[in-house]
Amino acid sequence: MNKKGEVEKSLNKLSKKIDYIKEKEEFNNNKSKIAYTGLTHAFRIVSELFANVLVGGCIGWTLDYFLETKPIFLIIFLIIGIISGIYTSYKSSKKWQV
Amino acid sequence: MIYLNNIFIIFITLIGNTAFAASPLEQFEITRPFGLMEISGIDVSITNSSLMMITILILLNFFLLLATRKKAIIPGKLQSIAEMSYEMIYNTTKDNLGKDGAKFFPLVYSLFMFILLCNMLGLIPYSFTVTSHIIITFAIAFGIFIFATILGFVLHGFKYLRLFLPAGVPIFLAPLLIPIEIVSYISRPISLAVRLAANMMAGHTMIKVFAGFVVALGIFGIAPFIFIVLLYILETLIAFLQAYVFAVLTCLYLSDSFHPGH
Repeated sequence: MNKKGEVEKSLNKLSKKIDYIKEKEEFNNNKSKIAYTGLTHAFRIVSELFANVLVGGCIGWTLDYFLETKPIFLIIFLIIGIISGIYTSYKSSKKWQV
Repeated sequence: MIYLNNIFIIFITLIGNTAFAASPLEQFEITRPFGLMEISGIDVSITNSSLMMITILILLNFFLLLATRKKAIIPGKLQSIAEMSYEMIYNTTKDNLGKDGAKFFPLVYSLFMFILLCNMLGLIPYSFTVTSHIIITFAIAFGIFIFATILGFVLHGFKYLRLFLPAGVPIFLAPLLIPIEIVSYISRPISLAVRLAANMMAGHTMIKVFAGFVVALGIFGIAPFIFIVLLYILETLIAFLQAYVFAVLTCLYLSDSFHPGH
């Protein structure tokens, strides 16, 4: 009786392990395949491009305002914002394509 | 910037005053249907926006209670709507966050249903579209942003900052890449908020503009009238789609705090 219980216990453990691994694999497979339509993706890219430039400009303007170095940081952070906008939308497109 | 803004305002008022009887932007005005209420100088009056939100919350609760009351094995119409929305969001959450992350399903589901009802009920004439105001969408998005950031730090400690420098990047690129990643991280709530609010506002303004044409053109107003009908179909699709995108992106941002550096 005791032995049977032990075997059952270890079997249960094993099945739990298998389930966990299966789940993990499924998760990794599904990760890149998010249900998207073209329209949602277009909206996403446009808003990302816009928001990144906006945030970059805001950071630059605020730094200039407090450090009193009028156009320097605004220009730098606008450029960073544009780059990061393109980079972010590139990353989200890559996720969508695979 | 101010110059551009002035031109925009002049343009809008010109359109509003000459072509139409009512301005197309009048529908976004905040009014106080029950008059002004004040508590020690602070304005706490119920505006049309907050009235709409309260209505939506009550409707949502009643709908879900009514739909799930029977618990039939073969679902009726109401129950199958509730089950469909539930399953759709649950699958989205599970696909993006894994089984561990499915505990955030209530957050994503309530967000989705609230925004969906805000968008849909805003399409009814003479009602008010809550999500067309950027401050409301920004408040929701900023809440998610703060929650995701705190969650990331709680789960990973200071290793969460590795999000800003993905693995396998050569170290000499770091001074260039870190500001870019930080700007892209901060821009998340803004892009969420701007997308939803801009979509809602643009669609409703367009419908109102074409409704003005119907009055102005007389008998030929039938053409813009048909266009409005078609536009309403598109707006219904966009209302649903934007709510879904909001839910999916919430999942994606939460998944970044689960697995930073991926």
